[in-house]
Amino acid sequence: MDVVLDNLDVFTRGMRTTVWLTGLSFALALVVGTLVAVFRVSPVPPLRWVGTLYVETVRNTPLTVLFVLFFFGLTKVGILYSAFTTAVIVLGGYTGAFVGEMLRSGINTVSRGQAEAARALGLTFPQVLRIVVLPQALRTVVAPLGGLAIALIKNSSIASVVAVKELSYLTGQLGNDTARYVPVLLGAAAAYLVLTVPLGIAIEALNRKVAIRR
Amino acid sequence: MTWKPTKKLFALAMAVGLLAAACGDDDDTTTDTTEATEQTTEDTAAEFEAGTTMADIAEAGTITVGVKYDQPGFGLQNPTTSEVEGFDVEIARLIVEAIGEDVEIEFVESVSRNREPFLQDGTVDLVIATYTINDARKQVIDFAGPYFVAEQDIMVRADDETIESVDDLNGKNVCTVTGSTSATNVAASAPQASVTLLDTYSQCAEAMTDGRVEAVTTDNTILAGLVQASDGEYKLIEAPFSEEPYGIGLPKGDDDFRNFINDRLEEIFESGEWAEAFESTLGAIGLDTPEPPEVDRYTETPPAPTTTAAP
Amino acid sequence: MPLVELERVNKSFGSLQALRDVDLVIEAGEVVVVIGPSGSGKSTLCRTINRLEPIDSGRILFEGMPIPAEGRELARLRSDIGMVFQSFNLFAHKSILDNITLGPIKARKLPKAQARREAMELLERVGIADKADRYPTELSGGQQQRAAIARALAMEPKLMLFDEPTSALDPEMIKEVLDVMRELAAEGTTMLVVSHEMGFARSAANRVVFMDAGEILESAPPDQFFDAPSTDRARNFLSKILVH
Repeated sequence: MDVVLDNLDVFTRGMRTTVWLTGLSFALALVVGTLVAVFRVSPVPPLRWVGTLYVETVRNTPLTVLFVLFFFGLTKVGILYSAFTTAVIVLGGYTGAFVGEMLRSGINTVSRGQAEAARALGLTFPQVLRIVVLPQALRTVVAPLGGLAIALIKNSSIASVVAVKELSYLTGQLGNDTARYVPVLLGAAAAYLVLTVPLGIAIEALNRKVAIRR
Repeated sequence: MTWKPTKKLFALAMAVGLLAAACGDDDDTTTDTTEATEQTTEDTAAEFEAGTTMADIAEAGTITVGVKYDQPGFGLQNPTTSEVEGFDVEIARLIVEAIGEDVEIEFVESVSRNREPFLQDGTVDLVIATYTINDARKQVIDFAGPYFVAEQDIMVRADDETIESVDDLNGKNVCTVTGSTSATNVAASAPQASVTLLDTYSQCAEAMTDGRVEAVTTDNTILAGLVQASDGEYKLIEAPFSEEPYGIGLPKGDDDFRNFINDRLEEIFESGEWAEAFESTLGAIGLDTPEPPEVDRYTETPPAPTTTAAP
Repeated sequence: MPLVELERVNKSFGSLQALRDVDLVIEAGEVVVVIGPSGSGKSTLCRTINRLEPIDSGRILFEGMPIPAEGRELARLRSDIGMVFQSFNLFAHKSILDNITLGPIKARKLPKAQARREAMELLERVGIADKADRYPTELSGGQQQRAAIARALAMEPKLMLFDEPTSALDPEMIKEVLDVMRELAAEGTTMLVVSHEMGFARSAANRVVFMDAGEILESAPPDQFFDAPSTDRARNFLSKILVH
């Protein structure tokens, strides 16, 4: 394991990028997911179609394909983002589809009466969603969203295919430079655990905290 | 990359053989083997000293060799026949026929990342896969050869006049592939260059067309193929900055086997079989046949280089 | 000008016609109790007035103006009509106080401090001021329904709709809710109450409306209706209620 200990800085650099990448992507995913969910439950049919089309397209495309498509594809229409930005867009947009579906199922668990009471008070449709329905829907999906965040940490490793210098990219390179892939990859696995395990514990705590007293 | 149970047994047999060799032999091992190989040249149904890898392979009648399946000129799977073809494949044939003419070669695809693990766990007996000899790799496996010396060069857009040597890469974006020595070399020669690693060289070329990177760097043999395919869009700057000696990877410590292979390499350098193999493979994609390289019979494992991944 | 007018209102759910040519007028200050067997369309009638249920044909006027389609105008109109539901529908993720201040702050744009002050006064009035910081599920059904009434009143509505407000309550809690409603009626609040509580109808209503199969069959002062119903169906209904 010397090769890991001697190159700890490679691991910490990689973890830092992975954390940033995951954090920004997840923030984007929450925004995209909320929009998708709102579209999917909207009373306006064309919005519902757009939401469904988005979810079905994104969910049924391999992440690697999306990465390569955005990295090489967008330049063909004259848009050139950095690899990191590409990765945030792809991971955020991809995860957003899943967030949207989770929120939608969360919205369905909020009883109709909650929305009716809010409408009867004179709240507008966006207010009903924002103030009454979504906050309750979010509480029911904290645990699945947390699972998604952990999956996102792992999925972020696919950003290495477009040369984002995150954990698996840098450790892959270290493995190549030192010809010691197995210990380096074990180190990488451990580094991912260092990120995912505390997150899992934090999500569990958050879930307990926000649970609606029933 | 298939793993068959029989191979496990074979690896075990090899390990036992190695152990026996290690216990039984002293310093005179080398001379013994040399004699053994000299016999080989006279009659190909060679007699190897019991316990050597060569004897085991001749006995088993089969050998597993890791080669690239996606490297034009060296190891490329023919999509119609499924056969793998190239210079590395020819070298494998030339070496194995010296062990026994009826020894069957099973080729296994080796990508850059699994070459060392394959040798260490016995999945393959040899790796002949555009495998650059370096000190880091010598820590965990051994190399026979080199059997070819590529040079690392730089490919740029045909209209680019700003990059004429590796020094000009400082401050520029340069692309190469994951799992190669090219990244390490360019980081050493142009420390201010920003290195982007992608999965394939064609992706690197695409990234250059898109303007994400200004240059692509790797072995001239590979770049030559890309330049030829680009229809004048790219050019080689023809200012090589590092030598890439390609070696034959084998499990660490099997000096008998290594000496045998080195002897055989020198033999085919002499006989012209090496040049013939080159002409029929790399020659066909437009490379001139060079002089054969000098075999490096190192005796001690060099110290591990202190290396970190290029930023 | 009457506060609410329904003219030839029709509403169907698939093949079921819930409202059939319904005409109804509610004057300001009136307390109208709607009774009838279950499935008679009385809840639907109540819900069409603030357009929680859109109608198929006919016309509903509030203060002489037709009820607008979905949008800001409708939201503004709804804020003038308080509604109390059978299943309370308090916002599960908000405290009782926040439930009550939500409408005033978000729809009436009242300053927070004022909204809280008014909310506390209302909670005092319905007798659960000590529960202000509790969450809905920590309250009994009767307390929840009183909180829901306070929530509706906080909008200072011109009309209060009660959709079977005691049907989901245990018998011992019905009285505490009806007492609050009686008090409102006595203060002159305009109310439309869908209910099975005949005692409440008799004592608090100005008028009883009897519905069956989507039609209004009778509309009369309570004494007249209960003592001398004019239709067989009403008589039949009342006899069943009194037997059970």
